[in-house]
Amino acid sequence: MNIKKEKIGDFSILKIKGRVDTMHSSTLEGEVTKAFDSGENNLIFNCSGMDYISSSGLRVFLIAQKKAKAINGKLYLCSMQPAIQEIFRISGFSNLFSIFNTQEEALANQ
Amino acid sequence: MGNNKNKRFVIENQIGELSSLADKIDELAEEWELSPALAMNMNLVIEEAVSNIIFYAFNDDNKHEIRISISLENSSLTIKIIDDGIPFNPLAQQQPNITLPAEERPVGGLGIFLISQIMDEMKYARQKNQNILTLIKRI
Repeated sequence: MNIKKEKIGDFSILKIKGRVDTMHSSTLEGEVTKAFDSGENNLIFNCSGMDYISSSGLRVFLIAQKKAKAINGKLYLCSMQPAIQEIFRISGFSNLFSIFNTQEEALANQ
Repeated sequence: MGNNKNKRFVIENQIGELSSLADKIDELAEEWELSPALAMNMNLVIEEAVSNIIFYAFNDDNKHEIRISISLENSSLTIKIIDDGIPFNPLAQQQPNITLPAEERPVGGLGIFLISQIMDEMKYARQKNQNILTLIKRI
Protein backbone atom coordinates (compact mmCIF):
# COMPACT_ATOMS: atom_id res chain seq x y z
CA MET A 1 0.00 0.00 0.00
CA ASN A 2 1.10 3.56 -0.53
CA ILE A 3 -0.47 6.86 0.37
CA LYS A 4 -0.04 10.15 -1.46
CA LYS A 5 -1.06 13.31 0.25
CA GLU A 6 -2.03 16.70 -1.13
CA LYS A 7 -3.86 19.77 0.14
CA ILE A 8 -6.72 21.36 -1.73
CA GLY A 9 -8.53 24.23 0.00
CA ASP A 10 -9.45 23.23 3.54
CA PHE A 11 -8.95 19.55 2.84
CA SER A 12 -6.04 17.19 3.11
CA ILE A 13 -6.47 14.44 0.57
CA LEU A 14 -5.03 11.02 1.26
CA LYS A 15 -4.91 8.98 -1.91
CA ILE A 16 -4.72 5.32 -0.96
CA LYS A 17 -3.32 2.73 -3.35
CA GLY A 18 -3.20 -1.02 -2.82
CA ARG A 19 -4.20 -3.22 0.08
CA VAL A 20 -5.46 -1.94 3.43
CA ASP A 21 -5.06 -5.21 5.31
CA THR A 22 -3.63 -6.60 8.55
CA MET A 23 -0.09 -6.05 7.29
CA HIS A 24 -0.57 -2.48 6.06
CA SER A 25 -3.36 -0.81 8.02
CA SER A 26 -0.95 0.65 10.57
CA THR A 27 0.64 2.75 7.79
CA LEU A 28 -2.72 4.36 7.09
CA GLU A 29 -3.40 4.77 10.79
CA GLY A 30 -0.05 6.56 11.14
CA GLU A 31 -0.89 8.99 8.33
CA VAL A 32 -4.31 9.73 9.82
CA THR A 33 -2.85 10.36 13.27
CA LYS A 34 -0.18 12.62 11.77
CA ALA A 35 -2.79 14.65 9.88
CA PHE A 36 -5.03 15.19 12.90
CA ASP A 37 -2.06 15.92 15.16
CA SER A 38 -0.91 18.67 12.82
CA GLY A 39 -4.31 20.34 12.84
CA GLU A 40 -5.60 19.00 9.54
CA ASN A 41 -9.19 18.52 10.60
CA ASN A 42 -10.75 17.93 7.19
CA LEU A 43 -9.73 14.80 5.38
CA ILE A 44 -10.73 13.18 2.11
CA PHE A 45 -9.75 9.58 1.53
CA ASN A 46 -9.50 9.07 -2.21
CA CYS A 47 -9.98 5.31 -2.50
CA SER A 48 -9.73 4.94 -6.30
CA GLY A 49 -6.59 2.80 -6.04
CA MET A 50 -7.63 0.87 -2.92
CA ASP A 51 -8.30 -2.62 -4.21
CA TYR A 52 -8.61 -4.55 -0.96
CA ILE A 53 -9.79 -3.92 2.57
CA SER A 54 -10.16 -6.22 5.57
CA SER A 55 -11.51 -5.62 9.06
CA SER A 56 -8.17 -4.18 10.18
CA GLY A 57 -8.52 -1.54 7.47
CA LEU A 58 -12.15 -0.82 8.37
CA ARG A 59 -10.96 -0.33 11.93
CA VAL A 60 -8.66 2.54 10.84
CA PHE A 61 -11.49 4.28 8.95
CA LEU A 62 -13.72 4.03 12.03
CA ILE A 63 -10.99 5.42 14.30
CA ALA A 64 -10.53 8.32 11.86
CA GLN A 65 -14.27 9.04 11.79
CA LYS A 66 -14.53 8.99 15.59
CA LYS A 67 -11.63 11.42 15.78
CA ALA A 68 -13.08 13.71 13.07
CA LYS A 69 -16.43 13.83 14.83
CA ALA A 70 -14.79 14.60 18.17
CA ILE A 71 -13.04 17.66 16.72
CA ASN A 72 -15.88 18.72 14.39
CA GLY A 73 -13.78 17.94 11.35
CA LYS A 74 -14.97 16.70 8.01
CA LEU A 75 -14.10 13.23 6.81
CA TYR A 76 -15.12 12.17 3.32
CA LEU A 77 -14.46 9.09 1.24
CA CYS A 78 -14.56 9.11 -2.53
CA SER A 79 -13.99 7.04 -5.65
CA MET A 80 -14.41 3.62 -4.04
CA GLN A 81 -14.26 0.49 -6.17
CA PRO A 82 -17.51 -1.54 -6.21
CA ALA A 83 -16.05 -4.55 -4.31
CA ILE A 84 -14.86 -2.20 -1.55
CA GLN A 85 -18.24 -0.45 -1.46
CA GLU A 86 -19.80 -3.86 -0.88
CA ILE A 87 -17.55 -4.50 2.14
CA PHE A 88 -18.55 -1.11 3.54
CA ARG A 89 -22.19 -1.95 2.95
CA ILE A 90 -22.23 -5.36 4.63
CA SER A 91 -20.33 -4.07 7.65
CA GLY A 92 -22.72 -1.14 8.10
CA PHE A 93 -19.91 1.31 7.36
CA SER A 94 -21.71 2.92 4.40
CA ASN A 95 -23.93 4.67 6.95
CA LEU A 96 -21.00 5.94 9.02
CA PHE A 97 -19.33 7.97 6.28
CA SER A 98 -20.08 10.57 3.64
CA ILE A 99 -19.10 8.72 0.49
CA PHE A 100 -18.84 10.55 -2.84
CA ASN A 101 -18.44 9.19 -6.35
CA THR A 102 -15.64 11.59 -7.22
CA GLN A 103 -13.06 13.72 -5.43
CA GLU A 104 -14.58 16.82 -7.05
CA GLU A 105 -17.95 16.06 -5.46
CA ALA A 106 -16.30 15.60 -2.08
CA LEU A 107 -14.41 18.89 -2.42
CA ALA A 108 -17.65 20.68 -3.30
CA ASN A 109 -18.83 19.99 0.26
CA GLN A 110 -16.47 22.51 1.83
CA MET B 1 -9.33 -30.24 -16.88
CA GLY B 2 -11.91 -31.78 -14.53
CA ASN B 3 -14.58 -29.98 -12.56
CA ASN B 4 -12.85 -30.36 -9.23
CA LYS B 5 -9.94 -28.20 -8.27
CA ASN B 6 -8.02 -28.35 -5.02
CA LYS B 7 -5.19 -26.43 -3.48
CA ARG B 8 -3.51 -26.62 -0.09
CA PHE B 9 -1.38 -24.11 1.73
CA VAL B 10 0.45 -24.62 5.00
CA ILE B 11 1.73 -21.58 6.87
CA GLU B 12 3.32 -20.91 10.23
CA ASN B 13 1.68 -18.87 12.97
CA GLN B 14 3.61 -15.72 12.03
CA ILE B 15 1.75 -12.60 10.93
CA GLY B 16 4.42 -12.02 8.26
CA GLU B 17 3.07 -15.09 6.45
CA LEU B 18 -0.08 -13.19 5.46
CA SER B 19 1.55 -11.22 2.63
CA SER B 20 2.86 -14.21 0.71
CA LEU B 21 -0.35 -16.11 1.42
CA ALA B 22 -2.35 -13.26 -0.14
CA ASP B 23 -0.12 -13.36 -3.23
CA LYS B 24 -0.58 -17.12 -3.53
CA ILE B 25 -4.36 -16.81 -3.23
CA ASP B 26 -4.39 -14.12 -5.91
CA GLU B 27 -2.36 -16.42 -8.18
CA LEU B 28 -4.75 -19.28 -7.50
CA ALA B 29 -7.78 -17.09 -8.27
CA GLU B 30 -6.18 -16.20 -11.58
CA GLU B 31 -5.38 -19.83 -12.37
CA TRP B 32 -8.95 -20.86 -11.56
CA GLU B 33 -10.31 -17.87 -13.48
CA LEU B 34 -12.30 -16.52 -10.56
CA SER B 35 -13.72 -13.00 -10.80
CA PRO B 36 -11.71 -10.21 -9.11
CA ALA B 37 -14.58 -9.69 -6.65
CA LEU B 38 -14.58 -13.36 -5.66
CA ALA B 39 -10.78 -13.34 -5.44
CA MET B 40 -10.97 -10.41 -3.04
CA ASN B 41 -13.64 -12.09 -0.93
CA MET B 42 -11.67 -15.34 -0.80
CA ASN B 43 -8.58 -13.42 0.29
CA LEU B 44 -10.59 -11.46 2.82
CA VAL B 45 -12.21 -14.39 4.62
CA ILE B 46 -8.90 -16.26 4.77
CA GLU B 47 -7.09 -13.19 6.12
CA GLU B 48 -9.76 -12.68 8.80
CA ALA B 49 -9.76 -16.31 9.92
CA VAL B 50 -5.99 -16.82 9.77
CA SER B 51 -5.09 -13.51 11.46
CA ASN B 52 -7.49 -14.38 14.29
CA ILE B 53 -5.73 -17.72 14.70
CA ILE B 54 -2.26 -16.15 14.65
CA PHE B 55 -3.22 -13.42 17.14
CA TYR B 56 -5.35 -15.39 19.57
CA ALA B 57 -5.09 -19.18 19.21
CA PHE B 58 -1.75 -19.93 20.80
CA ASN B 59 -0.64 -19.50 24.39
CA ASP B 60 2.92 -20.66 23.80
CA ASP B 61 5.85 -19.37 21.73
CA ASN B 62 6.10 -22.54 19.68
CA LYS B 63 5.74 -22.80 15.96
CA HIS B 64 2.37 -24.03 14.83
CA GLU B 65 1.07 -24.98 11.43
CA ILE B 66 -2.09 -23.53 10.02
CA ARG B 67 -3.47 -25.56 7.14
CA ILE B 68 -5.68 -24.02 4.51
CA SER B 69 -7.35 -26.02 1.79
CA ILE B 70 -9.41 -24.50 -0.98
CA SER B 71 -11.55 -26.46 -3.37
CA LEU B 72 -13.76 -25.53 -6.24
CA GLU B 73 -16.37 -28.08 -7.17
CA ASN B 74 -19.07 -27.29 -9.70
CA SER B 75 -20.38 -23.99 -8.40
CA SER B 76 -19.20 -24.25 -4.84
CA LEU B 77 -16.04 -22.79 -3.30
CA THR B 78 -15.01 -24.46 -0.05
CA ILE B 79 -12.31 -23.14 2.25
CA LYS B 80 -11.17 -25.25 5.19
CA ILE B 81 -8.85 -23.83 7.83
CA ILE B 82 -7.31 -26.06 10.49
CA ASP B 83 -5.23 -25.06 13.50
CA ASP B 84 -4.12 -26.74 16.73
CA GLY B 85 -4.73 -23.72 18.95
CA ILE B 86 -7.09 -23.27 21.87
CA PRO B 87 -10.72 -24.14 21.15
CA PHE B 88 -12.43 -21.25 19.41
CA ASN B 89 -15.87 -21.45 17.89
CA PRO B 90 -16.39 -18.38 15.70
CA LEU B 91 -20.08 -19.22 15.35
CA ALA B 92 -20.55 -18.68 19.07
CA GLN B 93 -19.29 -15.09 18.95
CA GLN B 94 -21.60 -12.16 19.50
CA GLN B 95 -22.58 -10.35 16.32
CA PRO B 96 -21.71 -6.66 16.20
CA ASN B 97 -24.53 -4.12 16.11
CA ILE B 98 -23.93 -2.57 12.70
CA THR B 99 -26.64 0.06 13.11
CA LEU B 100 -24.80 2.07 15.76
CA PRO B 101 -23.51 5.56 14.85
CA ALA B 102 -19.74 6.03 14.50
CA GLU B 103 -19.41 7.53 17.97
CA GLU B 104 -20.86 4.36 19.54
CA ARG B 105 -19.46 1.70 17.22
CA PRO B 106 -16.84 -0.38 19.01
CA VAL B 107 -13.52 -0.56 17.19
CA GLY B 108 -12.85 -4.11 16.05
CA GLY B 109 -14.85 -7.31 16.23
CA LEU B 110 -15.78 -7.24 12.55
CA GLY B 111 -13.61 -10.02 11.15
CA ILE B 112 -15.83 -13.01 11.88
CA PHE B 113 -18.92 -10.99 11.02
CA LEU B 114 -17.47 -10.24 7.57
CA ILE B 115 -16.78 -13.94 7.03
CA SER B 116 -20.36 -14.81 7.96
CA GLN B 117 -21.76 -12.16 5.61
CA ILE B 118 -19.56 -13.05 2.63
CA MET B 119 -19.84 -16.83 2.82
CA ASP B 120 -23.05 -18.85 2.46
CA GLU B 121 -22.12 -21.45 5.04
CA MET B 122 -19.82 -21.45 8.03
CA LYS B 123 -19.19 -24.61 10.05
CA TYR B 124 -17.01 -25.24 13.05
CA ALA B 125 -15.76 -28.49 14.55
CA ARG B 126 -13.29 -29.35 17.29
CA GLN B 127 -11.59 -32.66 16.55
CA LYS B 128 -8.40 -34.16 17.97
CA ASN B 129 -7.33 -30.88 19.55
CA GLN B 130 -7.85 -29.03 16.31
CA ASN B 131 -10.16 -26.23 15.27
CA ILE B 132 -11.69 -26.95 11.89
CA LEU B 133 -13.42 -24.06 10.20
CA THR B 134 -15.24 -24.78 6.96
CA LEU B 135 -16.48 -21.95 4.79
CA ILE B 136 -18.59 -22.44 1.70
CA LYS B 137 -19.63 -19.99 -0.97
CA ARG B 138 -21.87 -20.84 -3.87
CA ILE B 139 -20.74 -19.05 -6.98
